[in-house]
Amino acid sequence: MALNLKRKRDGDVAPRKTRRLSDDSELGSASDAESEKPGPENEGGGDEEWGGITSTQPATVIESNGSKPKLPPTGEELRVINDAQNLFKSSTFKLQIDALLPNVRPKAARIPPLDRFLQTLHGVLMASPPVAPQHPLEAARNFLKKGVSVPYCLPQPSQDTNWKVAFEKPGDITMVGSWPNKISVKGKDGFKFGVDLAIEMPSNLFQEKDYLNGRFFHKRAFYLATLAAVIQDAKTLNVDVTYESASDDPRLTKLVLEPRKDKTPNDFTKLNARVCIIPVLPADSPIALNRLSPSHSNIRISGDSDAESLPTPMYNSALLTALTPKPLLLSTFALKEHTPSFGDALALLRVWANQRGYGQSSGLCVCGFDSMGSWWAVLLGFLVLGSEPDGKKTRKKPLGRGLSSYQLFRAALDFLSRHDFKEAAFQKTTEGHKFPPEEYEAHHEAVLVDSSSTLNVLAGVPIGSLQLLQHDARMTLEKLNDASVGSDPFASVFLEEHRDLLTRFDTVIRVDIASAKPRSPSLHSTLDIGSPANALISSMTTLLRQGLGNRVNAIAILNAAPSTRPLSQALPTNPDVIYVGLIHDPHNAFRLVDHGPAADEPDASVAERFREFWGDKAELRRFKDGRIIESVVWDVKTADERSQVPAMIVRHVLQRHFGLEDTAAVQSWRGFDEVLKLPEAISRVYTGSGTVLGFKGAIVAFDALVKELKSLNDELPLSLAAVSAVSEQLRYTSVFNPVPLSESLATSLPPNARYLPAMEIILHFEKSAKWPDDLRAIQKIKLAFFERMANALMTSVKGLKASVVVGDPMNTSEIQDNSRLEIVTPEGWTFSARIWHDREATLLDRLIIGKNALPHINFPSEKKKGKEQQEAVDAKEVYVRRFIHAPRHHRAIAALNHRFVAFSSTVRLVKRWLASHWVLHGHISEEAVEILCASAFVGDGTDLQVDPENVVAERASVPASKERGFALVVRFLKDWKWDEGLFVHLYGRECKAGDPLPASTSSRAGVWKISTEFDPDGKVWTLHGPDVMVAHRVRALAKATWNALQGMEDGKVDVKSLFIHPTDDYDFVVRMDPAALPRYAQNVDSSLAIGGRYANLPREDSPAVLRPGFDPARLLYDDLQRIYTNTFKIFCDPFGGDRFGAVWDPTLKQPRPFRVLGGFSSVPVKKEKEKDKDKGLVVLNEASIFDEIKRLGGGMVSGITVQV
Amino acid sequence: MSLPVSVAGFTILPISYAGTSTHYIYARSHTGSKKNPTPDLPDGRTLFLVNVPPDATERELVLLFKGCGTVEKVVFDLDAQETLVENDDSDSDDLGSGEEENDDDAAMETTQPRKRRKLNKPQPPKVVPLPSRPLRRLRSTGRTAHLVFLDASSLERALAPQPKPRPWPTTSEEPSGLAHYAALYDSLRPPLDIVREHADSAMELYDRPSIAKGEAIVDEDGFTLVTRGGAYGQTLGGGVAVASKVFQETGETGTRKKEKKQKTNFYAFQKAEKQRNDLLELKKNWEADKAKVEKLKSSRRFNPY
Repeated sequence: MALNLKRKRDGDVAPRKTRRLSDDSELGSASDAESEKPGPENEGGGDEEWGGITSTQPATVIESNGSKPKLPPTGEELRVINDAQNLFKSSTFKLQIDALLPNVRPKAARIPPLDRFLQTLHGVLMASPPVAPQHPLEAARNFLKKGVSVPYCLPQPSQDTNWKVAFEKPGDITMVGSWPNKISVKGKDGFKFGVDLAIEMPSNLFQEKDYLNGRFFHKRAFYLATLAAVIQDAKTLNVDVTYESASDDPRLTKLVLEPRKDKTPNDFTKLNARVCIIPVLPADSPIALNRLSPSHSNIRISGDSDAESLPTPMYNSALLTALTPKPLLLSTFALKEHTPSFGDALALLRVWANQRGYGQSSGLCVCGFDSMGSWWAVLLGFLVLGSEPDGKKTRKKPLGRGLSSYQLFRAALDFLSRHDFKEAAFQKTTEGHKFPPEEYEAHHEAVLVDSSSTLNVLAGVPIGSLQLLQHDARMTLEKLNDASVGSDPFASVFLEEHRDLLTRFDTVIRVDIASAKPRSPSLHSTLDIGSPANALISSMTTLLRQGLGNRVNAIAILNAAPSTRPLSQALPTNPDVIYVGLIHDPHNAFRLVDHGPAADEPDASVAERFREFWGDKAELRRFKDGRIIESVVWDVKTADERSQVPAMIVRHVLQRHFGLEDTAAVQSWRGFDEVLKLPEAISRVYTGSGTVLGFKGAIVAFDALVKELKSLNDELPLSLAAVSAVSEQLRYTSVFNPVPLSESLATSLPPNARYLPAMEIILHFEKSAKWPDDLRAIQKIKLAFFERMANALMTSVKGLKASVVVGDPMNTSEIQDNSRLEIVTPEGWTFSARIWHDREATLLDRLIIGKNALPHINFPSEKKKGKEQQEAVDAKEVYVRRFIHAPRHHRAIAALNHRFVAFSSTVRLVKRWLASHWVLHGHISEEAVEILCASAFVGDGTDLQVDPENVVAERASVPASKERGFALVVRFLKDWKWDEGLFVHLYGRECKAGDPLPASTSSRAGVWKISTEFDPDGKVWTLHGPDVMVAHRVRALAKATWNALQGMEDGKVDVKSLFIHPTDDYDFVVRMDPAALPRYAQNVDSSLAIGGRYANLPREDSPAVLRPGFDPARLLYDDLQRIYTNTFKIFCDPFGGDRFGAVWDPTLKQPRPFRVLGGFSSVPVKKEKEKDKDKGLVVLNEASIFDEIKRLGGGMVSGITVQV
Repeated sequence: MSLPVSVAGFTILPISYAGTSTHYIYARSHTGSKKNPTPDLPDGRTLFLVNVPPDATERELVLLFKGCGTVEKVVFDLDAQETLVENDDSDSDDLGSGEEENDDDAAMETTQPRKRRKLNKPQPPKVVPLPSRPLRRLRSTGRTAHLVFLDASSLERALAPQPKPRPWPTTSEEPSGLAHYAALYDSLRPPLDIVREHADSAMELYDRPSIAKGEAIVDEDGFTLVTRGGAYGQTLGGGVAVASKVFQETGETGTRKKEKKQKTNFYAFQKAEKQRNDLLELKKNWEADKAKVEKLKSSRRFNPY
């Protein structure tokens, strides 16, 4: 049937085709093959055919042809597709969400054993025998015999308590929390699903006054202990019973039942779940609800009349949790019924939160968020249903039920990113407020009240943790909004973990709180908060916030999540170590002076409090504008040290208020500064010289030089149009602060610290027709220009030295720009100027295309073109890089430095890191590193043009410290798939990253692809490297460094060790004599030799011949790299490295037939036996190569270590 | 156990380095190709060396072969195949690095002959060379060199098998190691007056009008040389027109755009077809996305932790 149709259709088509051929000549090539394809795609004419196609019959024809089904989507499909695109970010996003969700939910097939277990448990609990009322301490003693201790909280019951504890079988057992609503989400680090059982304690066990002094909690503790004993003794339940306290608060202790593996029908180990038993109060309990409002005081401390009236909001809140599980369950259930996407949105939100440490896991957890399962549901409920009006503020409007899961998730992030947590938020309730709304605000740091209108789910969450949450939400939203990045944000939002400290915080400080002694301990707050450790952390956050003020956007405390403890242990163990993470506000973080109250402040107590807070740091200062103000000044010597101010404040506060001295107790990895500095002995010489140093000094010197050059216009035939800087020292990204080196200074430095780098600048003359039309002549004319300028400069500026550098030892091509003018200013700054002539490009292009001025004359030497053309291609590449891209790149990078505080130091740190691992310069260009680092800052490039002075809010993803920037770059390098390329919006242009470009077919070595707006191919700075091998090496290095950085969480990392390169992998290591290397002072490990024996002696041994930019080690390195390019791969540290490491090309070690152009030094293979046939094989001659290297590096190379 | 005497027709010349190691140079007598006999490398007294040490200088090679006879000259790096075949510019090998003076000479020699042949101009002005200190030129490892002896008998002596490795001569004329780099650094910065002389004389050379105005160039076959310029192109001197650049590159003359013959979105069927194609496209993308996610799924990417 189908075949018939096909034949018939072919017949139909043919005449029409001929008719159309005359209309459209482009279809002339239409063949039979084409006509076999379904009609509508390639031919659209004729209504009749079209109508036929939409009917079903031709469709079968099409399928019979074996091609893909080309049916238009059905209505249902269309709806799904459109929903995916409109209600989700994109259809891929939706599909990925669909793929993710089943993975975080419990597997339905594994649930039945749990149900059977719960039934058994129910039976056991309901049959538990009652315990007669007894004195709490006596009851505890009785239990101790069974190995169960009763987790009484503070204030502990004493001998003279006159109430009794008792046990009766539970009034009711209900499943509560997320499990019965089927909205459980898998925990991080394989954490188990929690199945919460609310055990209702009979109301006759309680009295009206039980809210006082923890009496309720004691009764609850006894009840819990009894349950624990019952379950432990039950033969039918094969479970491990442990205690666990939410937030390490002994008042919130629950029982955790974990199954033992025994293959019985009740064994639910496979489900990876645990059952938690939470005793709750019945709805008709005698404890009056109105006694539990935040402002009530429910702890009486005998003998302390002041404290009596102080409210106990945390205590009250803890008591309220005994009332809320059931109402929460019901309201969540209602919400789930009301909003179809609620379950999915909640799962997304919780996965997102778990990935960021807002949830229980084995790693570090954001303080206050360890047991906050209900908060996420309440948050979503608040968004969907809107807020309960509280009289004064604008009401939050409900979002309604029609949102998709992604939209709801986004709405939650949006709310988190904008909400001011100091304002109270109330979920919509049915009965109105139960407690006055103002009370919450007065007594809690952050407020979100659930739908029962009693419990503040944010009670006990420090505001710093919420700031961090806000920061994370902003960061994720930025990622989701980032339209330009080609990569899918899904992975980074949901699949990647973001818990590591270093990429997350600008400053990380590890505090050992075991030895902390609070300056002003408060018994009341300890009782209110529930445990001394929690009270300590709470007061620490408050004080740190006060000390840092607006310097930080978030101060988060991270600690280990609470863990289970055996029944014999009554109280939870508190973590000894906490981490303080700061997210800087880049505009205020590095302020040097903190102002306090003025001296004439009428209220003396204000000044007194300021002094009390800062201790001896506070001083009365008079400022330029005449004000006399109490202030705190942070003593900073260099610009680099300035970045440490927030850490200094934290240290000071901890020291003053908690007695934590600067030792192992407070660690904040400051070693990163050290690697960017010259050794102390050397830098002292420079600072003593009195000249302006550093980047500022370099730029001042550059400006002065430009002025001088411009004033030369009369002396030169053409006037200077522009001078552009292209040196990393003039764009704040050289590893070391630039320093001038005059001859007088040089004598006081050891010879191996006398390296003076030359800063590259580019001169651009006005346009003129007088330039010759020949590339070689242009190079000569440049020499003439340089000579003229050198003479003129030396006459106009006294003490200035200028010389013309005629050529480049590495490159002798005559058509390539290779001469430059070297200028040493009287202060000792060195510049190296080149002339940019734009006609060179045209001339080179002609050579490359193979057409010269006389395009169609076929010269007999056409075959020679190959070589000349190659030379021209190379010259063009250098030209474009040197004159087109470099100045542009320089400007962009310099602008980034002004835009982002931490940018330049991040680049410097990354460069130092790559250099110390021997890959910078020789394999990876400095510019490539700069762009790579910029990628961590610029985002989608939309806000680059913003004036740095009035940026309102920096993007959250912008690192504000070099440590974070460094960690981000290392993390990026660790995972980067370089063949996918990287697009960096360096220039902030409205330019979308287009489709990934086809893989570059260039035969050059470089495999990295780093594109910018002006360099879509992404090869300008990575053309010559790193090659595949080095790229893999960098990735391995990044991985190793990353793992070492993770060790910081244990407080074990020595920063310098990240910059010490292991040399075991090299086949041989060339050792150099440090005394012969002018850059040795820059070596990471150089402190050993500098400041040695001769530090204070005048140096007559070597006359101070200054050779700016003279670095014999690098010249030797370059020569070795060039000479032995096919023999070995060589690595070195450009910053004073005193060793070269090299790896043989492994193929050369195999004997191979002799070839004339083998390209390596060989030795004939010896015959094994005399009569063996001579095969003419040769093999690498390692020994002679070593001798050659020693000869080439005579005077520098001190030895070669061969490693096996 | 012993080393072979020769490999692939090459005599093996062991050279002992200052250290304990031995370097091996492979030597053969040079035979030029029949088609292009090279006058510079006469057959019979030219030695072809392979695996010359990378830092070898002419002086050192001469010293090495002093025992065999007097060396007339040393030519390094005739390695590129093409030069072996055609040998146009045997004397200017400028792939490596090195002294300015040599390169300038080479530059003159490569550009000069062509002009001289065509124009029959008088000798160009001489370029004042930049001063040069004897510097080592470091070539790639494992390269070749030709050694021309004064007489043929030296060649035989050189090719005789060596029982003992000869020591590698080291000369102090060309410094090596650190001193080499210092010398190189200094030689790259010549005195300014010499730079000026050099630049001026070089400019004089380039400034010479290569093609005189008003003079048509006619090659050996009688064709007139034509170049683009002016309204119609110009011969160098004559009046023959040359096609425009656009024509030359694309082969099209006009700049008029072709008009489309058919309007789009005019007929109902066109609209319907467009709509349908859009839907198909939608579905195609959807399927593609689905396939992509399936692929990701199969690589277990969706297990967040």
